[in-house]
Amino acid sequence: MKTRVVGIIGLVAVVAAAVFGLFVVPADLNQGDAQRIMYPHVASAWLGYLSFGVTALAGLLYLWKRDLRFDAVALAGAEVGVMFTAFAIWGGMMWGKPVWGTFWQWEDPRLTTTALLLALYVGYLLLRRLTDDPSRRATRAAIVGLVAAIDIPIVHFSVIWWRGLHQTATIGDPSKLLHPSAPPLFIIALMSMLTAFTFVWGYLMIRRYQLARIDWQIEEHGRLGRISAARRAAAANAGRAVAPALDARTEEVAP
Amino acid sequence: MNGFRQTAGVALTIARKDALAELRGKHAATSTLFFAAIVLLLFGFALGPDSRRLQEAAPGLLWLAIVFAGLLAVGRLHLIETQDAALEQLALYPIDRRAIYAGKALSGLAAMLVLGIVLLGAVAILYGIDLAGAWPALAATLLLGCIGFAAVGTFYAGVTVRMAAREVMLPLLMLPVIAPLLLAAVKATATALGGDPFGELGAWLQLLAGYDIVMLIAGAGTYGFLLEE
Amino acid sequence: MTDIGFIVAAYGVILGGMAVYAITLRRRLASLRDVSLRIRGEAAAADERPDEAP
Repeated sequence: MKTRVVGIIGLVAVVAAAVFGLFVVPADLNQGDAQRIMYPHVASAWLGYLSFGVTALAGLLYLWKRDLRFDAVALAGAEVGVMFTAFAIWGGMMWGKPVWGTFWQWEDPRLTTTALLLALYVGYLLLRRLTDDPSRRATRAAIVGLVAAIDIPIVHFSVIWWRGLHQTATIGDPSKLLHPSAPPLFIIALMSMLTAFTFVWGYLMIRRYQLARIDWQIEEHGRLGRISAARRAAAANAGRAVAPALDARTEEVAP
Repeated sequence: MNGFRQTAGVALTIARKDALAELRGKHAATSTLFFAAIVLLLFGFALGPDSRRLQEAAPGLLWLAIVFAGLLAVGRLHLIETQDAALEQLALYPIDRRAIYAGKALSGLAAMLVLGIVLLGAVAILYGIDLAGAWPALAATLLLGCIGFAAVGTFYAGVTVRMAAREVMLPLLMLPVIAPLLLAAVKATATALGGDPFGELGAWLQLLAGYDIVMLIAGAGTYGFLLEE
Repeated sequence: MTDIGFIVAAYGVILGGMAVYAITLRRRLASLRDVSLRIRGEAAAADERPDEAP
């Protein structure tokens, strides 16, 4: 029941942070009210990256310990993460149109890196879906997740270098919020939104993990059930006391 | 360093086996080259007929063509291993997994280099690019870019070769990871062709080299897990 | 203020999306927990049955 508490805290905190960010905090001098979009946008982005770190780490732990529970954590991280990453891109686009005049900007390393992160996530989830055997799926996912995680910082830095040669001063720089000279109320708004989102993230991760475990148990049960049913049928057909020696770990026998 | 020599020997043997298979094969390699050339032609139709625009876009188009054709090439190099359970048999030998990875990556590199050189010539002809004077820089860019592509491609080809939807999964998984390589290779090529007025070439080549090293280590480190399947 | 549309779109999708996902997870967990309990009940019953082979 602790999970439910986390969820309720998250719900209340998100509502409070949203009210704060939308109605209490003043608008930005340059960006106007569009600035408010930054709070959920940045929070989503951070949680998207955090989730990917969790997925990569859980995959590494699976490769080391071969415990499928780590794989369940990796799956939870990927699904929750792809959602937050999509939110981050959506928020970035909604902010970009009023402030930049366009939905997209190639020179913003955060936006382009996040888009690539989304692509990596989608590939990871598709890879999982297309692999049936649980341990093979977990292994493949783990190594793909690791290489993808290694790629992210490389992408980020290369886009920064890419941009560095085309310095254009943009009125609305998203990193303004992280600047030490940002107005304190803005920082409070961002931090409260981030904290609230993190509680929700924790709740969603736990629930998705539980769901993954139950899914696996049902899958396993189905598989073992088919094997023992086939074994019984074979024993009955043979009409003798000796049933063929089938190791429960062998591949599925067609009924 | 007996261990290293043995590993290198194994890698070279695998690479040579792949090369022989390609040379004796059914002209799949030349088909890939023709595919790449057609892609370059189509780029011309898409972005032309203004030759100025094509010349400006040439570095990007060159590397896009290399990437698309490269996907076919590295995919095919792993496909031959699925016949007669060749990969499994390889894995049974008491050799370092990294040697197998190195061997496949080496043959991948050879294929990519051939592709790159031919396409460079094609781009020079089709888009009217003058290559003179930029030879060393172009060669370095091509080499570093192909190493990176082969390193990443060998890994993902190994992951996807046994999947049902492998033709789409290979590009889907690989292209996002290849983005920094593409970015840097195009910039390096453009800089080299433009005479490098700002002295950026070194930075881009360094980025490529760094990418190559990281990806080679990552690929070699994880490839072994694929052979357990 | 023309920015309001973008703000509503941003907050609406993000907050709404989290809520939808949370509700979906709860529903799937609830229904699968029933299945899981049933399975474990069957397994426990099967353990008590005598061996099949004559």
